[in-house]
Amino acid sequence: MANNYIIGLFKDEEVLINAVKNIRAEGIKIYDVLTPFPVHGLDNAMGLKESRLHITGFVYGFAGTAIALGFMSWVFTSDWPMIYGGKPYFTFPAFIPIVFEFTVLLSGIGMTLTFLLRSGLYPGRIREKLDDRITDDTFCIVFNKDNKLNAEQEIKINSILKESGAFEIKEKNLKRHY
Amino acid sequence: MKAESIIRAPLIEGTKDYHKITEDICRPIEAKPSRSWLISITLSAILMCWGFFALGWTVWYGIGVWGLNKTVGWGWDITNFVWWIGIGHAGTLISAILLLFRQKWRTAVNRAAEAMTIFAVICAGLFPIFHMGRVWLMFFTLPYPNSRGPLWVNFNSPLLWDVFAISTYFTISLLFWYTGLIPDVASVRDRAKSKIAKVAYNIMSFGWTGSAKHWQRHESLSLVLAGLSTPLVLSVHTIVSFDFATSVVPGWHTTIFPPYFVAGAIFSGFAMVLTLMIITRKVLNLKEYITIGHIESMNKIIVLTGSIVGCAYLTELFTAWYSQSIYEQYAFMNRAMGPYWWSYWGMMTCNVISPQLFWFPKLRRNVAFTFFMTIVINIGMWFERFVIIVTSIHRDYIPSSWALYSPTWVEISIYAGTIGLFFTAFLLFAKTLPVIAMAEVKAILKTSGEAQKSAYAASHAHADIQSHGHGAYQPTKP
Amino acid sequence: MDTNKYWKGLDELHKEASYMELRNKEFAEEIPVEEIIADTLTKKTSGRRDFLKLMGFSVTAATVAASCKIPVKQAIPYAIKPEEIVPGLANYYASTFADGTDYCSVLVKVRDGRPIKIEGNSNSAITKGGTSARAQASVLALYDSRRQRKPTKGTGEIEWSQADNEIIEKLKSIKASNGQIRILSGTLLSPSTRQVINNFILEYPTTKHVVYEPISYSAIADANEKSFGKRVIPGYNFDKANVIVGFACDFLGTWVSPVEHTKQYVTNRKLHKDKQTMSRHYHVESRLSLTGSNADVRIPLKPSDVKRTLVALYNKIASSTGGSSAGTVTIPSKAEAAVSAMANDLLASKGTSLVVCGLNDLSCQILTNAINNLLGNYGSTIDLTNHSLVGQANDKAVNDLIGELNNGSVAAVIIYNANPAYSLPNGTAFGEALKKAGLSITINDRADETGSLTQYSLPDNHYLESWNDAEPKAGSYSLVQPTIAPLFSTRQGQDSLLIWSGKTTSYDAVIRDYWKNNIFTKQNKFSSFEDFWENSVRYGVCDTTTSSPSPTTFNGDVVTAANVIANIKSSEIELVLYESVGIGNGKYANSPWLQEMPDPITKATWDNYICLPVQYAMDNKIADGDLVSIKSGNTELTLPALRQPGLANGTFAVALGYGRTLAGRAGNGVGKNAYVFVGFDGQNFSYDGAAVTLSIAGGVHALAMTQTHHSIEGRPIVRETTLSEYKRNNAASNEDRVKEPEYAENSLYPGHEYSPLKWSMSVDLNSCIGCGACGVACTAENNVPVVGKDEVLRAHEMHWMRIDRYYSFTNPNSSLLADRVTKEKEYDHHYGSAFVTDYENVNVAFQPLMCQHCNNAPCENVCPVAATNQSTEGYNQMAYNRCVGTRYCANNCPFKVRRFNWLDYTTADSFPYNTATETLRVGMLDNITRMVLNPDVTVRSRGVMEKCSFCVQRIQDVKLQAKKENRTVGGDEVKTACQTACPSDAIVFGNIKDPNSTVSKLATNERTYHALAELDIAPAVSYMVKVRNIEEIQSKA
Repeated sequence: MANNYIIGLFKDEEVLINAVKNIRAEGIKIYDVLTPFPVHGLDNAMGLKESRLHITGFVYGFAGTAIALGFMSWVFTSDWPMIYGGKPYFTFPAFIPIVFEFTVLLSGIGMTLTFLLRSGLYPGRIREKLDDRITDDTFCIVFNKDNKLNAEQEIKINSILKESGAFEIKEKNLKRHY
Repeated sequence: MKAESIIRAPLIEGTKDYHKITEDICRPIEAKPSRSWLISITLSAILMCWGFFALGWTVWYGIGVWGLNKTVGWGWDITNFVWWIGIGHAGTLISAILLLFRQKWRTAVNRAAEAMTIFAVICAGLFPIFHMGRVWLMFFTLPYPNSRGPLWVNFNSPLLWDVFAISTYFTISLLFWYTGLIPDVASVRDRAKSKIAKVAYNIMSFGWTGSAKHWQRHESLSLVLAGLSTPLVLSVHTIVSFDFATSVVPGWHTTIFPPYFVAGAIFSGFAMVLTLMIITRKVLNLKEYITIGHIESMNKIIVLTGSIVGCAYLTELFTAWYSQSIYEQYAFMNRAMGPYWWSYWGMMTCNVISPQLFWFPKLRRNVAFTFFMTIVINIGMWFERFVIIVTSIHRDYIPSSWALYSPTWVEISIYAGTIGLFFTAFLLFAKTLPVIAMAEVKAILKTSGEAQKSAYAASHAHADIQSHGHGAYQPTKP
Repeated sequence: MDTNKYWKGLDELHKEASYMELRNKEFAEEIPVEEIIADTLTKKTSGRRDFLKLMGFSVTAATVAASCKIPVKQAIPYAIKPEEIVPGLANYYASTFADGTDYCSVLVKVRDGRPIKIEGNSNSAITKGGTSARAQASVLALYDSRRQRKPTKGTGEIEWSQADNEIIEKLKSIKASNGQIRILSGTLLSPSTRQVINNFILEYPTTKHVVYEPISYSAIADANEKSFGKRVIPGYNFDKANVIVGFACDFLGTWVSPVEHTKQYVTNRKLHKDKQTMSRHYHVESRLSLTGSNADVRIPLKPSDVKRTLVALYNKIASSTGGSSAGTVTIPSKAEAAVSAMANDLLASKGTSLVVCGLNDLSCQILTNAINNLLGNYGSTIDLTNHSLVGQANDKAVNDLIGELNNGSVAAVIIYNANPAYSLPNGTAFGEALKKAGLSITINDRADETGSLTQYSLPDNHYLESWNDAEPKAGSYSLVQPTIAPLFSTRQGQDSLLIWSGKTTSYDAVIRDYWKNNIFTKQNKFSSFEDFWENSVRYGVCDTTTSSPSPTTFNGDVVTAANVIANIKSSEIELVLYESVGIGNGKYANSPWLQEMPDPITKATWDNYICLPVQYAMDNKIADGDLVSIKSGNTELTLPALRQPGLANGTFAVALGYGRTLAGRAGNGVGKNAYVFVGFDGQNFSYDGAAVTLSIAGGVHALAMTQTHHSIEGRPIVRETTLSEYKRNNAASNEDRVKEPEYAENSLYPGHEYSPLKWSMSVDLNSCIGCGACGVACTAENNVPVVGKDEVLRAHEMHWMRIDRYYSFTNPNSSLLADRVTKEKEYDHHYGSAFVTDYENVNVAFQPLMCQHCNNAPCENVCPVAATNQSTEGYNQMAYNRCVGTRYCANNCPFKVRRFNWLDYTTADSFPYNTATETLRVGMLDNITRMVLNPDVTVRSRGVMEKCSFCVQRIQDVKLQAKKENRTVGGDEVKTACQTACPSDAIVFGNIKDPNSTVSKLATNERTYHALAELDIAPAVSYMVKVRNIEEIQSKA
């Protein structure tokens, strides 16, 4: 399937946010917004749901705790009990540091992988670019033409973008999804 | 958008816009390597190679080529290990803790600081590995299932805790650093001219688009990683301090060590960050991003942590006296008046007395003086570790075994080698990746940029700060 | 070692040769190990390690290639297995280490046909199971690769037969021309050998036998000849003496029969509930000797004053026993005080006192005899009947022989087991004189300084390869039996002499005959000689001493003797030459074990040096290791200086036995030869009192000392008290011991219960004399590597067992002699009302220190890889092959007993070309030398931590034995190497859970304490408070 987009480019995040608000007020679905840096308030304007990434972080961390504590207790009490410095076999206080470290390790790695996975980011991913300036100083609202946009909607989009300060509006037809 | 008090000094000086920022920060990467850069990396690389030769020598002939003996089992090796780890901590601290505290000024330094962390941890890691008598068996320290029946490791040993702490610390720091780097690498990618650069940066950018959703996740990730790193960085140096605190050696067996070590780590770390930043802002000409204001804020932290460390030293002395343990008392007498008195007094002067000069605003805003002080402090912190390690064990319980220790050329070379390694890595980093977090700087431009501030002030001379400044500020034309 | 098999099988009696040969072959049918190894690994002959390498390889290969059909070569067991040989099990054979003045009845541990360890023989009435460092090290000498391997003529090797023919021919011609023949030998304890020599003399009547000892007791013999008409060295009974006065006499370290003396000495110094008395030991000497360091009261005086003090003591005692003064002498005031104190004590215990003098000076010895005579000690503490036969030397005869050689009146000289060219004051001159003899032969274990000068140098067997006997004291006999076939083409000297004197009988036959005719007849226990012989061989000893020695009448000329002494001019600085506890007279110079054994007092290794009084060194700004030259007449010697507390002001001391040039790789060029200073007073060699001057040579020669801090810093690690204190309170100065249970109670953790076995050790600091035999025994038992001087200098020595030596000074401000100044910072400081600068009057305490096997061991907690942990029998164990070498355990060891393999000392690690140069140089890694290694103990590789294991291999051995016999292990059954070696029974080991074990009984003793117990580390090793018998002296003096 072809990937045909209408993009509007902006130079200022505040203008961008207004544009987004106006477009959504018109009930037109914004496909995506690309920015060179995290623009605060944009997600609200776009009505994005809050990320649940931090929840996964907790889950991974908890797993880490359980694994570390369980493993060490098993080794020292049942699999290989040994006397070190006259201490009891189950030396709980001595386990704490490793339990903590392992918790952090699993949580950190887990979250990062999830992030990359969900965002489809991986080393060497090739993407056709909508515009080179997006990672520099340009903000971009993307509409997906294949997304059942009828003619007058397209016209409307153009007009709203103009009104709300887009310095450039163009159509992009990419072979693959950007 | 949230505006910032006009009274605050701008964090970005001069008239900047988003494009200018990109230009400034990418310039060093895209420009031809400067002569100074080439010279310094050559020197560092040579130093590094010499260090690796010394390491090889050690592995081949044995630890006997070092100056250690039956009484002093650890010398420069572990001293350097603790020193490097301590330096590393500042990076995490700046990026994580300051992020949590929403300290905007960190944006200028956090990238470099994190990079420094990673390189410092690499240098640090070399020592516990190569101080092993049989380094080729270092995998014995990992609890891996093996053919020798139920043969695991000793989870009671602080050294094993180190294995976990250091590796975790390295991994998390790396993730934190790199995820933060991805958007900026994308910027470099999109500006890249040469084929190779295009391919390379494309690979490194993981195909970043800047989609709003990604930014959202990215922020959430950074926040949680920051949240994890904060206790992590504290735990790591706590555990390093356990290497000594859990022992029975007079001078090591001290409950004050964890906070004392952490403070010391921040202290030396900030000093090292400053050393690097002062060089970077000079060499890469980023004065407008790394301002005197930044330097001053860091000097404030240095004077604070320096004082904490000083208190710790005095507390130790008091405890030794108060314990009425003849061994403890002798240990501390010996530090101050024994054969290694010079290291103790070197430590005192460099770490406790000299940083107090930063109470004077003039001095802490003086770049040259700051640079000098950062070197002094890092020397002092090296002495601290030497004092703790060597002067404690060289005269412990049984007087018949008392001995002296001095390093051989091998130990000195290895230490020099790690410094070479560190700077080689840092110089490569500074030449190939954005040393300042572009996206983050851009994010604060509106609130903390000099031009923007003044413009904003002009237009809102009367208005209440909270009014949304919609339309008040025109986007600069390309 | 009562549980051990000493000897079995009559076939040993009848077909020795074949049997010996068979036994020393591991396999009756040769396995071509030699060839294979020669081709593959080294081009050298194969040692045990090579064999093991090969085994290891083939096993691995077999396992690896198990799938593919490769025929696996099977090892073939003995076709006819010697009865007592069980591969992997050790046998113990009774034998005797008798060499010059060293005598020790021993058991030889033979493992798979190789002697690997020397143990004391508890059946001996003389050494009673004690050993010396030298005896322990004697097994290494067997594998000394420097030993001469074939007879030589000039520089070329020749066959025995050829040598015999030529020699006999020459001897015959000499006999025909009535030329003079001389045999110059060291002390011959063996009666059979003396018989052999007598036979030789019968064959060649012009032969004279001269006995020579580099460090001679000739004067004692001469004095007894003059006093009692008996040219002997008496037997001493230190156990019967309640008061002992030594004059420059190191009777515990080197003098006459140290092991015997130590055994006796400690029996009267051990303390427990039922025996709260101990002998009092005064010592008058110039240098700080091992004996002096154990004395209760020590009076440091320069040699000339020591001699005068002897006269003063005589006068004092004579006057109070109604005798007449022998002429007045002036002595220092402190000596005056001491003399009166001594005299009081001596007179108070007449007949149970003992005065010994170590000076090789006729007058002194006569006076000593006189004093003992006045005190009626002959017959009680001194025994002229069962006299000693060590030191048979006759210095005068030796001197005459040199004269004869010089004027060329000697046609043939046979030097047997002596090295005069090295050890005579004018050795080089002797060498020249030797050339004038028509025929010169040396029979020695190596072509040493003398052997290299004689025409023939004939290699002798090592005693572990020989049949022999010994008579250390009149009436006490012991046997030497071979434990291995000669390694090289060597032949026992006695056999050579027999052949030359035309006898066809072999020497072992001679021994049997001698025992049959002379010893069998003296006893009535056995009716048949065969039984008697078998029994003697089995137990190694035979005691025929008569009980009550006859009292003697003294007729020595005291007055002349006193006059001679009175006329001695004392000089500003007087030199003392002494025998070192390890190296002895220099014969053992090539023993790396003994060279690396720290001197008991100075703790220096691999060197001799000039001991200077501390005060003198301070005044002249001389530091340890500074090169200084001493000059006496026109003899000069440059050596490093060593500041020695306790050395009498105006005295320098230098050890003999160093500076060998042809000893071997380990001994050559170690130190300098100080024999050049030995004097001859017309009657005897003199070792004390030569006037010397010192000049600073410039330069430094670092001394490798294993202990560089000499004071205990007031720490309660070594605890000592005085006898009267102890009597008042058995826990004197050990009050802390009551706190010890509290430490466990206050512990955070409940701790573990070790039962029914919990190994524990007790060390009695009051018995330990610090001789260092334990250390060498440990080295031998546990394959402890030798690291060489350079490494010791860097504090890399590997000894598992060390003896710490601490100096302390009497507090001049205190009324109690027990009150000590132990903190170094207090020396030369204002202390109370006076200064402590009296470096002469030093007190010494010894503390043997090995792994304390803490039950709450700090080392265990910190090892990341669990290479060290606590056994369920309550000792700390090491898994060498698990160790990665972080050294954290050593740092965290409060006793600093862990030893790290800094370099490759054993070639056991996987890297080539990186072996520690010194270990390689001194020959510890030669294939032949490695045959001494104990197969039961792993050889540790580079980068691994090691330490005392409580001789775990012995524990396991005994446990297996018990298991086989289906019984429990006895509480005292396991004996560690240090324990069996100890001549003073200071070390006790056993199961503390067994209420009947000695160690569990000692645990309740009030003197028992655990070092650093306050750390709640619960050491398994305990110490017992040292007690000095002093207090009343002061009140008297």
